[in-house]
Amino acid sequence: METKTDRFMQSIPEIIRTIPLTHYILLSSALFAIGVLGVLTRRNALIVFMAIELMLNAVNLLLAAFSSYFSDPAGQIFVFFIMAVAAAEVAVGLAIIVMIYRNIQTIDIGLLNKLRN
Amino acid sequence: MEVSNYWYFLSGLTLLSALMVVLSKNPIHSVLYLVFTFFCISGHYVLLNAQFLMAVNIIVYAGAIMVLFLFVIMMFDLKKNIPDSKTNLTKLAGTVVAGSVLVILVAAFRTIQYPTPDESTFNPNNGMVENLGKVLYSEYLLPFELVTVLFFVAMVGSVMLGKREVGDRNF
Amino acid sequence: MTPVIALSLFGIINLFLGFTFKRQSLQVVTLLFIICSMALTAMDWNHEYLWFGDMMKTNNLSINFSLIIQLAGLLVVAFSNGFGKDEVYTQPAEYYAILLFSLVGALLMVSFQNLIMLFVGLEILSVAMYVLTGSDKRNLRSNEAALKYFLMGSFATGFLLFGIALVYGSTRSLYISGILYNLSHTAPESLPSFLYAGIILMGIGLLFKISAAPFHFWTPDVYEGAPTIFTMFMSTVVKTAGFAAIYHILDVTFGGFQKNWIITVYFITIITLILGNISAAYQQSAKRMLAFSSISHAGYMLLTVCANQPSTSSNILYYSLAYTLATAVSFAVLMVVAEYQTGRTEKPENFDALNGLAKNNPSLAFAFTVALLSLAGIPLTAGFWGKFFVFTDMFNKNLTYPIIIAVLMSAVGIYYYFKGIISVYFNSGEIEKIETSFLFKIALWSACIGTLVLGIYPTLLKSIF
Repeated sequence: METKTDRFMQSIPEIIRTIPLTHYILLSSALFAIGVLGVLTRRNALIVFMAIELMLNAVNLLLAAFSSYFSDPAGQIFVFFIMAVAAAEVAVGLAIIVMIYRNIQTIDIGLLNKLRN
Repeated sequence: MEVSNYWYFLSGLTLLSALMVVLSKNPIHSVLYLVFTFFCISGHYVLLNAQFLMAVNIIVYAGAIMVLFLFVIMMFDLKKNIPDSKTNLTKLAGTVVAGSVLVILVAAFRTIQYPTPDESTFNPNNGMVENLGKVLYSEYLLPFELVTVLFFVAMVGSVMLGKREVGDRNF
Repeated sequence: MTPVIALSLFGIINLFLGFTFKRQSLQVVTLLFIICSMALTAMDWNHEYLWFGDMMKTNNLSINFSLIIQLAGLLVVAFSNGFGKDEVYTQPAEYYAILLFSLVGALLMVSFQNLIMLFVGLEILSVAMYVLTGSDKRNLRSNEAALKYFLMGSFATGFLLFGIALVYGSTRSLYISGILYNLSHTAPESLPSFLYAGIILMGIGLLFKISAAPFHFWTPDVYEGAPTIFTMFMSTVVKTAGFAAIYHILDVTFGGFQKNWIITVYFITIITLILGNISAAYQQSAKRMLAFSSISHAGYMLLTVCANQPSTSSNILYYSLAYTLATAVSFAVLMVVAEYQTGRTEKPENFDALNGLAKNNPSLAFAFTVALLSLAGIPLTAGFWGKFFVFTDMFNKNLTYPIIIAVLMSAVGIYYYFKGIISVYFNSGEIEKIETSFLFKIALWSACIGTLVLGIYPTLLKSIF
């Protein structure tokens, strides 16, 4: 007798059958480009940092898609490492931003250039 | 409802909330949109049968990293920082660069003929915890242990940079 | 693999030693640790090992790169003088521990066989440098340098990761051996087109880290803002490790696809040479001039990466060694002079602050002169042979235009390097005798003598490389 779980398990490959891999690559590239836009356009250091996290997540999505389509766990393992490194970078980055805020009470990266001179 | 309709809806949500992250004026709104983006990406992981990755994404990214961001934002007095826009020329240049990155990537992918994955080699256990655990602790043990060094550096560095010296103001 | 384990353990031990030891003893202990790990590295000479199932490889090339990187670390620790006497605002135990951990990251970058190891090593090195750049917490320029380095470095890591993801998607393997096998067994028409985009994106990510133009905009501000001792570390270790990674990726893994990436890297090299040298000629500050000079030296080393001859790896090694010795000495002299001149002059790092150094400090002046001559590529110093080997590579590949530009730019380089020599010997200024510690003098003299010996007998080390 076919249980609900069996029908659910059989429907998982349907995603891989109906959505070609190029759609995932396009989605991931669009997310990456939005992240690049955020880094280049914004002046608030925290928002620039969040855009960088968006870029890393686009890469995560692409790697997970490749891993599922090839049935190769190496892609998902790489995603773990990217997440671990991103967490460590967030810790250090926020410490740097807090240190700057203590000194000049603002996190506007355009203002730092003028202060130097 | 077909599965591909789910996919297009979820992708549209992801792209929309990612755009709102970058374009919001208020940083707290950006953080909340980013959390929503992470949830949408976790939904994509479910569709790809990467179930452990979905859970880890929500716990680590939306649960730990975004909470750190919110802590730091709440510590700052943001009323003084709202006017945050570069000159229009810089914004235009940035948009052009990002747009050209997107156009180049899309053009590179347009002409590929990607082979569809065949049913015989498909492994339905691919995203499950046991399978990933077996691979991580046997084949990828060395980078797993070496990430410890990275965490050491991050711990020592963030305490060193973030601690309050004698005489510093405490916000 | 043993030096990686050893350096990690030594870093942890250093953190605990900070409770009891004084600063000068910490410096000596760290020196002994690095010498011990250099001995462990050299013990594997002429053996080839693959560690943990093709994750890391130890062969003569990786041992040579590891020795150069650890030598640079040794020089940085020797020149550091225990980080001064300021008890409250400097924490020497933590600085030495983070230096040792970043050496671990650099060692991973030179001996990787899997792209995950490249990424982990690169991030260990980069995060350690973000922390050390911002370590002078009260100085606004150090804060700005840390933030800029952090944001630009993470941006570059994003590009590198996207490139790695695309390469993984097209070759279905993260191991270098797997990539080479899959690429050689597939017909070129059936390779997905995003493989080429992946190669270029990986190249861009790595070129950011070695500050090739047009990705060099972070370098002058970061090098100038960071404390000089950590600038010395950045410009020697990070560059050498970065070039080892670029050599492994572009020349070894994707050497067969050279016609896809050669045009991009070609133009990047030419722009780097021109921008680096011409901008350096305009600088008033000696530290900023040395930052731009490091950009131009990255351009010279990229020339031999473009050429991709069998002798490329040994030329990169020789050039890195010559550049490391010369840069360490020049930054060391700048450091002690700037420390002496703070409070006495407006801008303690300009060329004017060096005026009249030769009158009371002949050894410092001589060392500085030898270092600048080596950077400029004057014969009888190691830098000359470095440039000579690089130009020979380009001749063998019949690429003539970059050689003409490189020779012209070397001539421009002579101008701004000689500005330093002239201000040391021929301008008049009042600098008293500067007291330097014993370790500082030993490191200074051994680096100088190394430069001169390698300039007269290049085959001494070229035969080993």
